[in-house]
Amino acid sequence: MSATLRLDALTKSFDGRANAVDAVSLTVEPGECLAILGPSGSGKSSVLRAIAGLDSPTSGRILVDGTDVAGVAPERRGMAMVFQRPLLFPHLSVLDNVAFAATVAGTPRGEAREDARQFLALVQLEGFGSRPVTALSGGQEQRVALARALAARPRVLLLDEPFSALDPELRADMHELLGQLRERLKPTVVMVTHDRDEAAIVADRVALLRTGRLLQHDTVERLYTRPASLDVARLMGGRIEVAGVVREGVHRSPLGSIEAPAGESWPEGESVLVVRHEAVHLASPPVPAPQGMTGVTAVVTARHARGPRAAIELAVGSATLAAEVPASRPLTIGQEVAAHIPRSACTVVTPVPG
Amino acid sequence: MTMMIPYGQRVTPDRQATSRSLMRPRPVGRAARIILSGMLALWFALPLVPLLLWSVANRWSFPAPLPTEWGFDGLGTALAQGGVEAFGRSLLLSLAVAAIATPLGAMAARALAVGSVPAPRLVSGILLAPLALPAFVAVMGLTVVLLRLRVPAIVGVLLLLVAAALPYTVYTMRVTYAAHDLAFEEEARTLGASRLQVLWRVHLPLVAPGLARAAFLSFLVGWSDYVITVLVGGGTIVTLPFLVGSFAAGVGNDAIVAVLSLSAIVPPLLLLLALGRFGRRYAGGTRTPSASPLARSEKGFL
Repeated sequence: MSATLRLDALTKSFDGRANAVDAVSLTVEPGECLAILGPSGSGKSSVLRAIAGLDSPTSGRILVDGTDVAGVAPERRGMAMVFQRPLLFPHLSVLDNVAFAATVAGTPRGEAREDARQFLALVQLEGFGSRPVTALSGGQEQRVALARALAARPRVLLLDEPFSALDPELRADMHELLGQLRERLKPTVVMVTHDRDEAAIVADRVALLRTGRLLQHDTVERLYTRPASLDVARLMGGRIEVAGVVREGVHRSPLGSIEAPAGESWPEGESVLVVRHEAVHLASPPVPAPQGMTGVTAVVTARHARGPRAAIELAVGSATLAAEVPASRPLTIGQEVAAHIPRSACTVVTPVPG
Repeated sequence: MTMMIPYGQRVTPDRQATSRSLMRPRPVGRAARIILSGMLALWFALPLVPLLLWSVANRWSFPAPLPTEWGFDGLGTALAQGGVEAFGRSLLLSLAVAAIATPLGAMAARALAVGSVPAPRLVSGILLAPLALPAFVAVMGLTVVLLRLRVPAIVGVLLLLVAAALPYTVYTMRVTYAAHDLAFEEEARTLGASRLQVLWRVHLPLVAPGLARAAFLSFLVGWSDYVITVLVGGGTIVTLPFLVGSFAAGVGNDAIVAVLSLSAIVPPLLLLLALGRFGRRYAGGTRTPSASPLARSEKGFL
């Protein structure tokens, strides 16, 4: 039931204002889960609504298995959407909600319900069928919404921040459930989220959007370690930016000279070195850096509590570094430590002009 | 300079103590409530007492506290004078008004709610205008126009009654659509339901309570109309209020008027009961009995 989805320069503008979605092109392979990630107002929901056919794009094409779906009514696109609110039909029982797609497709009631029962079991809600939808908890509601969408056998399953309204524990449960469902049914999934952790957990690839533009479409891993721009690094929560110059493939800055990772080459000229603060090791008392790491002497300038972790800010000459350590590590402000930066975690991006 | 409140000093009164006593029904308040509701019930029921007595009285001379001669002469005359036919005519007319004004009002309200109407304030103003205008003012002028256009009297009456009922249906449906979430319909579309299927399987069931309320109100507009039927119908359309009016104008018809008036109470009363039952079934029937009273009152009918 999964299909290839391709967006080709998809653009959407409302009433002549700046484009909400600006020439977004990307491909989602069958069975793949793509997360469209972006801050609010980035146009990510507009992309999803255009794919679903609920809004028509201003220009650009949406292709499902190579066929342009422009002008195809939402009900004929073979998509199914799960919104942030469960939107379970209050006049139908849980079972009839899940059986909705089959019922409108003309399947006899008994058969539709039998089918719905299987999908209820799939979301671990066997026996909930006869309940009214008002007798469900928030997490159960969203499970039913998911079952209802899956029972429609969508070629592409669209999820619009489906777990944002749930508390963290339930959200983790839902992530696990989505993982299981993906394994069993292998649907093509496009999920919109503003939570990069969620995108990292759920998705194979992430499309990072800001003000309607696609900044980077890549694997989660690469989005963190090889951001295409400073914007991407910042949106992904990167906290280390060290300005410098690349000469002969080596980045020179107050951190010293850092070579490009094996097999990669950096463009010459002014550039900003970015590296995840999670990758930075702090050694106290200072010890020499092991193989493959660059060691610098740094001074702790600030320490912020982050529950079980502590965020540390460091100064290396005129440059600043950041790191994360277990909250139990007794690092104090003013202390001198050795910061070890793994070369493979480094990348350079062009500086923001001006 | 204002005085600083010393840090850490509690400045709000102890809420716990005061709110608890407010939550508990106080004996004085309860008695007052019972007396007040009793008086209200009396206020509504009192006018019915003489009607009930008159309907089974053949004679009731002034100073006597009760009818001086019991009997069913009033009922007999009412039947003989076409009471049943008038009743049926009124019923048909009111149902027709409800059948036309309810969907019209719903469509207008939905268009206004969705925001697809240019100059929405003006449009809602026009739709609500019949409330502000005494019916006969508009009717006086329109009668001539309708006559010249050779519009049949019954069509004219129906047209004007629908116009008079529209403010109620539009208002009721606007309230309904304000609480209605269009995302339900979008969700249904993505699940494969066509526009028509969405209308029947999602949209109408979700607004059904509002539709029932609107239909009831527009039925009442038709059922209780006198002025429009008389002026536009010119006496050719004999409805129940028309019959009551013509008998009430005469002398010595108190029994007939009482019988006809009482019969006029029956349909709205039955509809109201049906609406209440429908509302309960719709709102509470599929829900657990443990639903809180708050949830029930939110979803209740009128």
